[in-house]
Amino acid sequence: MSLTLPANQLRDPLARRTFLERCAKVSFGLSVLPFFSRVAEAATAPGAAPNAGLPGFGSAKRVIFIQLNGGMSHIDTFDPKTGANKGPAAALSTKAGFQVTEFLPETAKVAGKIAVIRSMTAKVGVHASAAYLMRTGFEQRGVIQHPNLGAWAQHFLGSSSKTLPSSVCVGRAANQGNGWFPAAFSPLPIQSPSDGLQNVKALGDDALMAKRTNLLKEIDVGFGQKVPDENVKAYNEFYDATFQLMKSSDLKAFDLSAESAATKALYGTSRFGQGCLLARRLVENGVRFVEVAHGGWDMHATLEDRMKDVGGDFDRVFAALIQDLEAKGMLDTTLVAVVTEFGRKPDFTGGGRGHHPLAFSTVLAGAGVKRGYVHGASDAKGYKPESEGVSPGSLHATIAHAAGLPVQTDIETPSGRPMQIGNKAKLVKELFA
Amino acid sequence: MLPRLIIAVSLLAICQPFSLSAAVAGKATKKELREAAVAEATKIKAPAKLIEPVAAVPMISPINAIWHQWRDNQGRVVDAMFCGLSGEYITLQTRDGKTYHFNGNTLCAEDIAFAKDCAVKMRAGAFTGGSVATAAENIDRLMLTTLSAKGLKPNAPATDEQFLRRIYIDAIGRIPTAAEAGTFLGDTATDKRAKLIDKLVYSSGYSMQMFDWMADMLRVKDTFNKGIPAFTFEDWLKNRLATNATWDKLVTEMLTADGRLCDNGASGFLLFDAEMPLDGVANLMTTFLGSNMACAQCHDHPLADWTQRDFYQMAAFFGASDGKDEAMLRLIQKSTGDVPKAVAKKIANVNAFRLEDTEKQKLTFPKDYKYKDAKPNSLVSPVLISWDKADLNLPVYKVDTTKPVQLRNQFAHWLTSPQNPRFATNIANRLWKKAFGLAVLEPVDDIDDLAGSSSPELLTHLTQVMKSARFDLREFQRVIYNSKTYQAAASQTPDLSKGPYYFTGPLIRRLSAEQAWNSLVVNAVGERVDNIQLRRGQDIKQMGLPAGAVTAAAMVKVYEGMKASGLTKAGAGGKAAGGSTAGLENGYDGEKPVTRYSLLLARASELPQPSSETHFLRVFGQGDRLLADSGTSDGSVPQVLQLMNGNVGRVVTDVKAASVVTAYAEKTREAQITSLYLSFLSRRPTAREMTATGKALSDGMNLTDLAWALVNTREFLFIQ
Repeated sequence: MSLTLPANQLRDPLARRTFLERCAKVSFGLSVLPFFSRVAEAATAPGAAPNAGLPGFGSAKRVIFIQLNGGMSHIDTFDPKTGANKGPAAALSTKAGFQVTEFLPETAKVAGKIAVIRSMTAKVGVHASAAYLMRTGFEQRGVIQHPNLGAWAQHFLGSSSKTLPSSVCVGRAANQGNGWFPAAFSPLPIQSPSDGLQNVKALGDDALMAKRTNLLKEIDVGFGQKVPDENVKAYNEFYDATFQLMKSSDLKAFDLSAESAATKALYGTSRFGQGCLLARRLVENGVRFVEVAHGGWDMHATLEDRMKDVGGDFDRVFAALIQDLEAKGMLDTTLVAVVTEFGRKPDFTGGGRGHHPLAFSTVLAGAGVKRGYVHGASDAKGYKPESEGVSPGSLHATIAHAAGLPVQTDIETPSGRPMQIGNKAKLVKELFA
Repeated sequence: MLPRLIIAVSLLAICQPFSLSAAVAGKATKKELREAAVAEATKIKAPAKLIEPVAAVPMISPINAIWHQWRDNQGRVVDAMFCGLSGEYITLQTRDGKTYHFNGNTLCAEDIAFAKDCAVKMRAGAFTGGSVATAAENIDRLMLTTLSAKGLKPNAPATDEQFLRRIYIDAIGRIPTAAEAGTFLGDTATDKRAKLIDKLVYSSGYSMQMFDWMADMLRVKDTFNKGIPAFTFEDWLKNRLATNATWDKLVTEMLTADGRLCDNGASGFLLFDAEMPLDGVANLMTTFLGSNMACAQCHDHPLADWTQRDFYQMAAFFGASDGKDEAMLRLIQKSTGDVPKAVAKKIANVNAFRLEDTEKQKLTFPKDYKYKDAKPNSLVSPVLISWDKADLNLPVYKVDTTKPVQLRNQFAHWLTSPQNPRFATNIANRLWKKAFGLAVLEPVDDIDDLAGSSSPELLTHLTQVMKSARFDLREFQRVIYNSKTYQAAASQTPDLSKGPYYFTGPLIRRLSAEQAWNSLVVNAVGERVDNIQLRRGQDIKQMGLPAGAVTAAAMVKVYEGMKASGLTKAGAGGKAAGGSTAGLENGYDGEKPVTRYSLLLARASELPQPSSETHFLRVFGQGDRLLADSGTSDGSVPQVLQLMNGNVGRVVTDVKAASVVTAYAEKTREAQITSLYLSFLSRRPTAREMTATGKALSDGMNLTDLAWALVNTREFLFIQ
């Protein structure tokens, strides 16, 4: 099945315009697109997608996408092994019936609320390319940029908030996360979670700002009247939206100080903790897709020390996030995904492990995903999946499915290429109850 | 006068063209020198070392290169080619290809006069297609015919104010200062538009503007994948633009470049895709020919005629070329000595990525090739694509594919020839879009089907103009700028669902990220910003290991050199320092930029390529340079936040901002208001605006508040 416009309409400006009108009303990142701009096309609502009738479809109203940069060792975290390949930490049994390692004591406590995929598999073992693949579901190319899931969602579902952006990324570069979609679909980057949204405070006090604004309106009116251009009008709307945003109570979504002492203590003071707390506040206030990055996972050496340090930080914060979402009654409608770049080699040498894309683990929690569940397995050594593995594309299709997006459904990119979420890979149906 | 003198002296010390010992001509008399220069000018068309001869590719130099022994007011002499005179600033290029831009007042009186002569000579006859005015009229005549056939009329002529702002943006990439605007608007001469066009396209701002435009198209990036620093590519492009190298020459140099990036900046274009050579071919076909072959890389193109076999046959012209010297990489890795790992890796990359042609064309069809016209894994023979059967009869299609080491040269000869069915059309179409906001044939990266154009006659005509300008992009644009079609009032963004746009005038456009930034910076520091030039290639050059001597000792020597110039410090020190602009300051030849509110105030072309993600430039749509033509003019709330509340807003509304200082220097309130209007909007205020702003200023607001309001108007962000 295809959502593609028939080929003869591909270059039909009218069809394109209908689409433009739809996406032009995106409030935060309203897109100024001249009518001749080429944009991706989709003519049918996501409800008509082939996956729409399957369990879990649309169960995630929001997604928190955690990326562990450097490559998390599956054997030392979610896929413990015995024998020669065992790492420095022993296996730890959980009430959910599966094991993690002793590096993850807090996660073990929330094991009953999460699902682990132990049969992730890919071919890319280079950091930047693997991070790209895991973020987009596509292998990196030199002639096209692929979108992240937030941009896909904005394409199919529209904007998620009137004043706030639909996608935000915390502690990482936005890196054209919009792919072939309009630039306004790119996630808003937040460098430092505790600093919040940049430049939202006026230069000078309220009285000065009011005066300046009045003067601006007075001297700008002539041009607006003389030039009723579509793109000029769009910028008028940006200015209105900005004035609204600066006054908006939604801005509190960026203010971590509004949290209770108990919640602050739960997440802790680490940058990642602050990032995840901000992510929760953002999705709570209408942001649909938040990426949070966590660095330090490239453990070629001193793995034990770094697992205690980096892994320990992740362990506390991830468990806190799951508990907090549950306590707020948001876990049923929020999907938390923990992805990395690749796994690490079963051979434990020199105090660490090398890159290993052939087998690794990913965690999904919340929304309609089964709880206390393990999908797939790696072989005894942790070298490759025991049976058919889950590709990064499949993972993307799965998350997209939960978010209510059509999978295995073509859209047409601006250059006329048919593309699907997850690059045609199938979603993992078994993950949904 | 004292400050200027100090600048001149320090400039000389920094530029140092006169202290190059090899260039000092000794005690020759001025007369002898002059005679030698004249002899040289008639004899040499281009500096010998600059352009490595490329077999069978005739080079066309639009400038009759003028070589001269330049003498400064202290009697020092340097041998250099004249590139341009822009206000008091002269640009010269020495025989090693390096460009120097400095205050011409440091030259001796005779050479100041000689430079002025050169500037006049350079313009005269620069357009090889005859008279610029006639060529412009020919475009207008064609447009009139086309429009009247559709029952349309051209827009009324643009006002002087509209023309002024538009031509500054298009020709030098920034808006005029209050003084520049005042001078033009006050001029009563009837030919003042043509004069302004000439002044601008022959100024240093022109090549900076062209760099911004090309950087987006050619994916100019400080570091390629895996952290290969590519400053030499940037320097090469800047130096070529300063001498106004023609487009065919630029492209030929990029496609036929040999050697390491540290030795030959031109190799940067192909080395960008060294690890993905097939993508590289798809990219260059799109950029230079507007041919959309990327789909055919993996399968027959679903909508166009290109087959996967077509693509592979084209790619085979690059199948004997190698971009990465694996043996060198291994050798360096073994010989790191005491050099830290990260530094060794950098040195390794600089030395191992290089372009070299081998004796064998190695490209094979993919192992999963699914069409019957070739066997999977079989060797591909290079064959040129054609858009029409008749193309094959063109002499330029007779290429010799028997010598693998010559394949790239043969390809470049075909690609850059005036006979190539798309090369001239592609660049003409792109430049038309640059001036009018919309191409004759959209999208510019897919012009395989010429019949799809809104005006095939116009496209054909522009192709002819490009050929008669012999690919001199400056002269081509000079012709367009002189046309009434360009000088008409702007049209609003057309609704193309109701039919094509027939160019009754240029379109209203949002300033590009680079144009907006440059316009803010000129308001912050004044027109001196056109003289602030970043050149960082020298640092990369010193990282080249001597041929055949890759030893631990050589590595340590390079490392010591890097340490001495601060190259090994992260984020600061040397010219090559990456993201942090703090580390950039040593990279400027001649005038130095100032930093205010953490922003380095130089033009977009003289900042990191591209800027960091949160910088004004990127927020306003500067491309990431991973894909060609990736810049956008989409809008967003974060843009408005930056202009209203960000450091950029602070910089232009600061009491130190050049336009605010200029306004305060005026004696009456009316003159102050007028000055700020000229600075930001390139026009004087209307009576109503004068009253409104005058009232605001009486009401406790000051000129910085007015600057804030003006920079936040839509009129500032859009050009008509």
